[in-house]
Amino acid sequence: MFKDVAFGQYYPVNSPVHRLDARVKLLLTILFVVSIFFIRTYFGFMLTAAVLLVTILLARLPILSVLKSVRGILLIVAITAIINLFFIKEGEVLVQSGAIVITKTGVHTTIKMVLRLVLLISGASLLSLTTTPVQLADGLESLMAPLKLVRVPVRDIAMIMSIALRFIPTLFEETNKIIAAQKARGASFDTGGLLSRVKAMLPVLIPLFVNSFRRADELAFAMDARCYNATDKRTKMKKAKLGFGDLAAVLFIAGYFTVILLERYYFPTVGINIDVAIFGGLL
Amino acid sequence: MSAIEISNLSFVYSPKTPNEKQALKNINLSVEEGTFLGIVGATGSGKSTLIQHLNGLIKPQDKKRMSVVVNGMSAADRKTLKKLRFEVGMVFQYPEYQLFEDTVAKDVAFGPKNMKLEKDEIDRRVRRALEVVGLDYDKFAIRSPFDLSGGEKRRVAIAGVIAMQPKILVLDEPVAGLDPIGRKEILALVKKLQKEVSPTVIIVSHNMDDMAELADRIVALKDGEIIADGTPKRVFCNRRLIKEAGLDLPTATSLTDMLISRGVKLPNDIVTMAELARELGAALRRKLSVSASEEYEDREDFKEYDGGCGSEYDDRYEAGGCEYGEASDEGEERWDGEDENV
Amino acid sequence: MSDFQIEIKGVSYSYPVREGYNVKAVKNLSLNIRKGEFVALTGMNGSGKSTLAKLLNGLFQPKEGEILIDGISTADESNMFEIRKKVGMVFQNPDNQTVATIIEDDIAFGPENIGVEREEIIRRVDEALEAVGMSEYRTRTTSKLSGGQKQRIAIAGVLAMKPDIIILDESTAMLDPNGRKEIMEVACRLNKSGITVVNITHNMEEAALADRIVVLRKGRIAIDGTPKEVFASGLIEACGLTLPPITELSRALAEEGFVFDGVVISDEELAEGICRLLK
Repeated sequence: MFKDVAFGQYYPVNSPVHRLDARVKLLLTILFVVSIFFIRTYFGFMLTAAVLLVTILLARLPILSVLKSVRGILLIVAITAIINLFFIKEGEVLVQSGAIVITKTGVHTTIKMVLRLVLLISGASLLSLTTTPVQLADGLESLMAPLKLVRVPVRDIAMIMSIALRFIPTLFEETNKIIAAQKARGASFDTGGLLSRVKAMLPVLIPLFVNSFRRADELAFAMDARCYNATDKRTKMKKAKLGFGDLAAVLFIAGYFTVILLERYYFPTVGINIDVAIFGGLL
Repeated sequence: MSAIEISNLSFVYSPKTPNEKQALKNINLSVEEGTFLGIVGATGSGKSTLIQHLNGLIKPQDKKRMSVVVNGMSAADRKTLKKLRFEVGMVFQYPEYQLFEDTVAKDVAFGPKNMKLEKDEIDRRVRRALEVVGLDYDKFAIRSPFDLSGGEKRRVAIAGVIAMQPKILVLDEPVAGLDPIGRKEILALVKKLQKEVSPTVIIVSHNMDDMAELADRIVALKDGEIIADGTPKRVFCNRRLIKEAGLDLPTATSLTDMLISRGVKLPNDIVTMAELARELGAALRRKLSVSASEEYEDREDFKEYDGGCGSEYDDRYEAGGCEYGEASDEGEERWDGEDENV
Repeated sequence: MSDFQIEIKGVSYSYPVREGYNVKAVKNLSLNIRKGEFVALTGMNGSGKSTLAKLLNGLFQPKEGEILIDGISTADESNMFEIRKKVGMVFQNPDNQTVATIIEDDIAFGPENIGVEREEIIRRVDEALEAVGMSEYRTRTTSKLSGGQKQRIAIAGVLAMKPDIIILDESTAMLDPNGRKEIMEVACRLNKSGITVVNITHNMEEAALADRIVVLRKGRIAIDGTPKEVFASGLIEACGLTLPPITELSRALAEEGFVFDGVVISDEELAEGICRLLK
């Protein structure tokens, strides 16, 4: 049922991308995600894909590990695609059979939507694949530092995040164990209607919750025993220092973002012309 | 009739990915009904993967070449899957962490309910199961399983499996985490269950002393392969093999070796403490009677003892172990429990 | 200052199980432990041994009596972190005590919490990993380790706080025999380097490795002495425990006519008794 938990799993190799400052990576990921919503043309998508590919190669990640995280949202992608494909009625009609109408605009919107989602998730997963949960939490804590002034418990929030990420694999493993045990007592999870399926999950969810509380309790003891919250002057073993790589990364992504913006607002015909040159009549 | 028949079973986790891991390699195993089988092996040797094949939680990856047949039902057959699961009761490690109902009786009834039994029959089975595991029905039935002590929770979890009246009972480290009294009680319970409920019992354990004491037959796994299979005496005979598999010898066996190395004459196939005490007692009595009659002779009687685990045995054994990985049809040559092919 | 590093003076502790129903886990218990001792604290489930462990570093506060660590009371709020620095604790479940995904980050967690300087943290992480023999795992993730390795990391995380006392709260209970051995080896090594070790366990072979065994029964001390004294007391079974297999064997052999010098707790002693008559 939960065979692989790719999303959120740090992929431990030493690469320039792994070495980047977590804060820089966080901000650049946000910029990248935002950029995706400014894209209109296939040229834009190709450029984005190229940027992503270059980053994956620099990060020395197997492409498969990135695609795996996309697999997790395939259902959402499929549903979005179907909605777009069948419900957009404008434009030249390609297929018409009874109530089903598929238009050229529908096809293009669908393709772009799928591309957008895939690029979005790939980009976001790059962050978690190349950044350890602790770095991520530290980065977030540092970026949110100004909020401390208004009494937001920034450090606790960061800690909660990092622990949540740390326990994802443990909880998935536990879920699989419980599922196996209940199946061994004749439980089935894949038959019946929605309601009976939800009900069938109770024998899994209840022990999972009970065990998670027990784990949380024990973890709290372990953290207390190791002096969590002993002092406000908590130190850090890993000092984040901005380096040349960070500058290069900022320039790279900022440059890419500028091209996307220029293409959209100042040279709207360039992208479209490139699209036409490549795809011609398909558009 | 054999209860379990496994042939050519291999299993690879995450095939064709960087995380690919071969968990089982060409396992051939047949288990007679009524056997108390111990499966031993270091962590990661494939024990869990193997037992999860027995009730179809994991299906053979190649249905043509491999097969797992339990009581005549193929574990790959979807139609009989449910029935199979009710016939193979599986108690996982720390089973108390899978309790979920608000009363003990309801939790134990989960299996029988899934079997779609009549209500009366379910009640009867719940009552019986609780009593077999030593929990008073009237006292425990309406209590919440979450309020019980660790040992009681484990009994409830075992009762939940027993209530399905499985013909084969599989237990993965059933005494893990229990205190000495709890361990003794659960092991005694398992023996009782074999007599009263499930004639065939399979236990996965790291505790070689328990295995030597309880099992009729032991299968030792290393890196997904069976490297030894036979009575405890035979399996623990091959010290080198057991060490290489990352396993301990039973305490009695390593003590025997230590005593032999110091010149005490003992048969080298001792696996339980009771046996060791008996042998030493006998040796002492012999010595006393010998010195009393001043009669010194070559100790013929000891050669007889050596028969259990003599050098020729070792050779055969190693040969069997070595051939294992390569040959596919060594079924005849293979080394099985004493009580097989009789 | 007194001779003792740990002084438990008439401590009681109870906790609520259900509304209006308290369980007295520890009852008027007094116990002193010297610096550098290796003590096994044992007893059947529910004997109060884990509660006592949590009392020792202030995770629980005594309802009556007091506990002094190097003369400092655990009940003193202002000294709480001082106590926790001195008394490191390793728990039972290897999965529930690592906070970070990367091993070095997890070990640094304690020192970071108490505000140790950066360079010093790095030095301590190095030393701690070295002490548990896991240096080469420094930048790997915790999830792929064996149970024994995870517990060694947990010990390293405690060592990085430079504790004087380490409490192993059933830290080997969930491990396989190899994992157990790893942890006991590390514990013995640390004890030799001067750290006081309190090992809470119901495994009697493990308890026999300590200098001293304290057996709890229903929240009170039932037996306290060297392993030999404790196993000779004849009270072990009454406390819901069993003798180590080798001691049990020597008893059976004594009935067969063998003679041993006192209680047998090592292979050596057993062999001596047997060889004396059989060779």
